Amino acid sequence: MVKNPSFSEAKKDDMTGLKVTNLCKIYRESTGEVNALGPVSFEVEAGGVLCFLGPTGCGKTTLLRSIAGLEKPDTGEVRIQSHPDGGEPVIGYVFQQGALFPWMSIFANLEFPLKVKSIDKDTRREKVESMLEMMRLSSFASSFPHQLSGGMQQRAALARSLVMEPDLLLMDEPFSSLDTRTSQELQENLRELLKKASTTVLFVTHNIEEAVYLAGKVIVLGHRPGRIVRRETIDLPDPRSRLSDSFTEYLVSLRKTFESLVSDQ
Amino acid sequence: MGRIGKYLPGLAIPCLLIVWWFAVTGGGRDTLLPSPEEVISVLFHPFQDLISTGSLAWSTLVSLVRVAMGFSLAALIGIPVGLLMGASRSARRFLSLMVEMARPLSAIALLPLSIIIFKAKTFSQLFGLQYLRYQKNLLNEMQLGMIFILFWGGVFPIILGTIQGVRSVRKMHLEAAGILGANRLFTFRHVIIPSALPDIFHGLKLGIGRCWMVIIAAEMLPGTNSGIGYLIRYSYQLSRYDIMLASIVIIAFIGALFSKGLESLGEKSLVLRSKER
Repeated sequence: MVKNPSFSEAKKDDMTGLKVTNLCKIYRESTGEVNALGPVSFEVEAGGVLCFLGPTGCGKTTLLRSIAGLEKPDTGEVRIQSHPDGGEPVIGYVFQQGALFPWMSIFANLEFPLKVKSIDKDTRREKVESMLEMMRLSSFASSFPHQLSGGMQQRAALARSLVMEPDLLLMDEPFSSLDTRTSQELQENLRELLKKASTTVLFVTHNIEEAVYLAGKVIVLGHRPGRIVRRETIDLPDPRSRLSDSFTEYLVSLRKTFESLVSDQ
Repeated sequence: MGRIGKYLPGLAIPCLLIVWWFAVTGGGRDTLLPSPEEVISVLFHPFQDLISTGSLAWSTLVSLVRVAMGFSLAALIGIPVGLLMGASRSARRFLSLMVEMARPLSAIALLPLSIIIFKAKTFSQLFGLQYLRYQKNLLNEMQLGMIFILFWGGVFPIILGTIQGVRSVRKMHLEAAGILGANRLFTFRHVIIPSALPDIFHGLKLGIGRCWMVIIAAEMLPGTNSGIGYLIRYSYQLSRYDIMLASIVIIAFIGALFSKGLESLGEKSLVLRSKER
């Protein structure tokens, strides 16, 4: 497993789901400037899953927020593949936790993005119901978020992002607040779902195993300023087994990079 | 039993007070303060004419309708103003100095001024219903000045509660709405307002409490001749302390009813937000 420098090399442009060039974010505070991120450049092919792996405070979240437009990067360019019908690309974003609207039922939460697009009521109902069924949430349609477990809440949050059929799905450590078992279960669900969908995914985590399980490609991000220290293609067959030797090999190799980052500090 | 049962412990001290009160004044003794029986007897005959001011029920109704009008006006103006001030920085800059200066001005202090401005005009005069003048009609009792000070008393807690609600919307919910495609108006209607509701209800609850205090005090001032506050002052002048105490009981009871009522209305939204992690 050598570093794969060809990873960022040009592919056909229409096959690129997301292309980020020289993205850089500096926070200006009274005490001075903090370079939080970059510059970083990378791209993800359409329908691919890219995991950003990095220790806490390496600018992973800043990266996602800049791509989503929640934060204005200082330099750099973000290009997202446009919608198949030629419209603006649709971006989904799954927060760490607690982004469901607590005053709305799960059904209403999922319906929200469809209502925004003024889709008619019957189509909305149909789409929400089939999404709930796919996420095995049908029996919770009329429950409120606080009545659900943390895992169920994240599942619903994921469903709310997917119901808009996003071209790009950004996930900010969505399972980090859950226990290992629930987290693994959701990872498995997600993998199943992504196999069917054509969504490009950017997943941010500090959990190496999660990254190896989900990703087609992994980028390891180092400490402040966030910079790319390693690019890795995860070449594992489907279904991925966490117990297989090759899985463990990736795990150990990435762990080594990770440890060296921490000791560099 | 269940719902009423939970209030029973709260009745312990009032009950003790009543027992003590009975021990001090009861048993047919002639004391300055009336005994509980006398007060209860007044309360149990709410439609009897009292010292030619109308019945207890009439006086209560007059006060309640005044409060209803003043409070509704306060809510109708206070909530939109609060929403505007919460959502727009320039509206806040423009209005907050005014609100902060006006807020500590006691509504009672403005009563004479409002009488000068509104000249003791009532609703029946406003609507040109002069023929009602010598009849017993609620519209005769709705002095515009009184409604104005009720509005004044109620509007500031409502404005401040609403601002607080709008400003305490979680940033993550706003960002989520934005990512889900909502524009500012949609976000305002479907995210900001619902998540501000608990604070708005809290403001309304404080507002109606203030209105109820203001009306009682305002009705005691010279120049009024109806309402439960007036009944207290007039019965005091005629040494009918049984009527005075009965009125006080009614005021306390209605005040509690107001805040409990608004609380249960707001409960749903409050529960949802407090349970959120």
